Amino acid sequence: MRIIETKNLVKVYTGSTVEVRAVDSVDLVIEQGEFTAIVGPSGSGKTTLLNMVGGLDQPTSGEIIVDNVDITQLNQKQLVDFRLKNIGFVFQSYNLIPVLTAAENVSFIMELQGRVKSEIDTRTKEILSDVGLGDRLTSRPFQLSGGQQQRVAVARAMASRPKFIIADEPTANLDSKTTEKLLDMMLELNEKENITFLFSTHDQRVVNKARRVIVLEDGRIVSDERK
Amino acid sequence: MLTKLAWKNIWRNRTRSGVVLGAVAIGLFAGTYLSAFMNGWMLGSVQADIDTNLSHIQISDTAFSANNDIGAYFLQTNVAEKLANTPSLKEISFRLILNGMLSSANNSVGMTANGVVPEDEQRVSTIWKMIPDSLGAFLPEDTRAAIVISEKTAEKLKVRLRSKIVFSFQTAAGEMQTMAFRVCGIFKTSNSAFDEGQAFVRYDDIFPLTALPENSAHKAYIRVADLETCEKITPELKTLFPDLSVQNWKELNPMFAMSLEYMDLYAMIIIGIFLFALAFGIINTMLMAILERTREIGMLAAIGMNRSRIFRMIMFETVFLTLLGSVAGIALAIAALIPSLHSGIDLTFMMSDSFEDYGFSSIVYPVISAEMFVEIVILVILTGILAAIYPARKALKLNPIEAIRS
Ligand SMILES: Nc1ncnc2c1ncn2[C@@H]1O[C@H](COP(=O)(O)OP(=O)(O)O)[C@@H](O)[C@H]1O
Ligand SMILES: [Mg+2]
Repeated sequence: MRIIETKNLVKVYTGSTVEVRAVDSVDLVIEQGEFTAIVGPSGSGKTTLLNMVGGLDQPTSGEIIVDNVDITQLNQKQLVDFRLKNIGFVFQSYNLIPVLTAAENVSFIMELQGRVKSEIDTRTKEILSDVGLGDRLTSRPFQLSGGQQQRVAVARAMASRPKFIIADEPTANLDSKTTEKLLDMMLELNEKENITFLFSTHDQRVVNKARRVIVLEDGRIVSDERK
Repeated sequence: MLTKLAWKNIWRNRTRSGVVLGAVAIGLFAGTYLSAFMNGWMLGSVQADIDTNLSHIQISDTAFSANNDIGAYFLQTNVAEKLANTPSLKEISFRLILNGMLSSANNSVGMTANGVVPEDEQRVSTIWKMIPDSLGAFLPEDTRAAIVISEKTAEKLKVRLRSKIVFSFQTAAGEMQTMAFRVCGIFKTSNSAFDEGQAFVRYDDIFPLTALPENSAHKAYIRVADLETCEKITPELKTLFPDLSVQNWKELNPMFAMSLEYMDLYAMIIIGIFLFALAFGIINTMLMAILERTREIGMLAAIGMNRSRIFRMIMFETVFLTLLGSVAGIALAIAALIPSLHSGIDLTFMMSDSFEDYGFSSIVYPVISAEMFVEIVILVILTGILAAIYPARKALKLNPIEAIRS
């Protein structure tokens, strides 16, 4: 089943002198349950592409179809709602809410979605123990290591079982051992819950773990391999 | 959940929240304390003036109220009969009011002698309570030709209790009359102008000299349950006595009535200034709070928190802050006011006769009204909400992509 499809996606930044085609004619199809890495040198357009697919940024032209909806046609208000209901986000610098506990951070999106309390509590406990933090429910972000915080972030993104998860360089701030652990955990959850992951990286070890690798160069897809 | 997040957010930067909380609390404390104090002062002074001097309502002949002409009298029975049907009237004291000279062996002063029936008078005015035990009593039964004068008058005439003094005045027939009295009581009120001019004698003692018809009086002093009743009943009495002059304390002392009204205005101005300062404090604090949390708010927007929720979160934070400050401020004000509610705040150390000359009392019993507290808290919270709109709108303008990258 197709989760995401982009058609001739283009993003042009017009500066004062030069025009940058950050994403250039990208046609991309992501299937349900795929675990895809987008790789490429710095400035190749990874972030721009992920932001557009994640409904955070508008393309200059082209379509992004998610679940039969062209999200480029949605207004800001519809987009926020769309993100809340369909997309999980993991950011490079964790971005947890510092005043909330790990469990509250994970519950947060489900609460925004208006789910019932009992369901939220069960799911929060389940997903936090899946990421190996079942004993840290009441810890606040500052009491957790970087790796642990990013695992809470993954749990937060996964908790509401979104259609797909977007992660822009999720391991960039982590050391290699923690990176590997996080990736293994993401893979496990991907298999267990059949949730689609789309993430960018320029770390070769992360690339090795991916099931599908898309290489970007100057905003264009130069290779796309499934393992 | 938004409320929970907002609540937790206000404790992030304790110093900053503490400053705002403190500002709200101190401002509210000062505002309510001051206004309770001023209210108490005014009401106390008004009450004292009503008790000793004015009573609630005075009825007199129209000509009398203009120039205290001894011939401008009315008959007690006429007034008493009509008043008998007005149930909210509590007490009436009829007075003869005679202007003349009071003289001792040493000195003479201009004086208004009030001819009263002591039993009636004691139910209307509190002069009798203003006589210390050591300085006699208010026209006791066993005395004949007794007079009550003030401490001030006693000093001027250089007389003491039981001294003999002489009152001379012009009768209704136009002759001069003189009568000797013995001082039976010396009073002191907080209104020195009143003290200097008023003396009290028995109606029955002075009446035979006046050449007035049987049963006449110059004024009826009326005391009712409270100021509200007074307000309500004045117009009724005016229609009841179209030919007489009916005036309540407000009409008799317009300066007091006006000060009482200005008091509200002063309170409004003070509170207005405080709210204005508060608004700027809140705008500043919330802008800083938002600036500090740019990335976090961007993230919240990215993961699906819509504008209305972000707006509400910021609003809740502000309201919690101001609400908390308000509660603290009011608790402080109440704690500071309670001990002085009964004992009063003694101002004699800082103000002297000059204030008393105008009839202001020197001991203030603060008056707290729940209504005033509620009004102020609502105003503070409204200010908080209004002041938070600008910072909250700033938060909405954040672009999530840029906010997260920053
Ligand atoms: N807001 C922007 N304004 C102008 N140019 C931008 C902006 N964001 C990205 N770019 C440019 O777009 C290109 C792709 O950037 P980006 O998507 O961040 O690449 P990557 O994530 O692969 O490093 C770069 O040349 C970058 O300079
Ligand atoms: Mg990037």
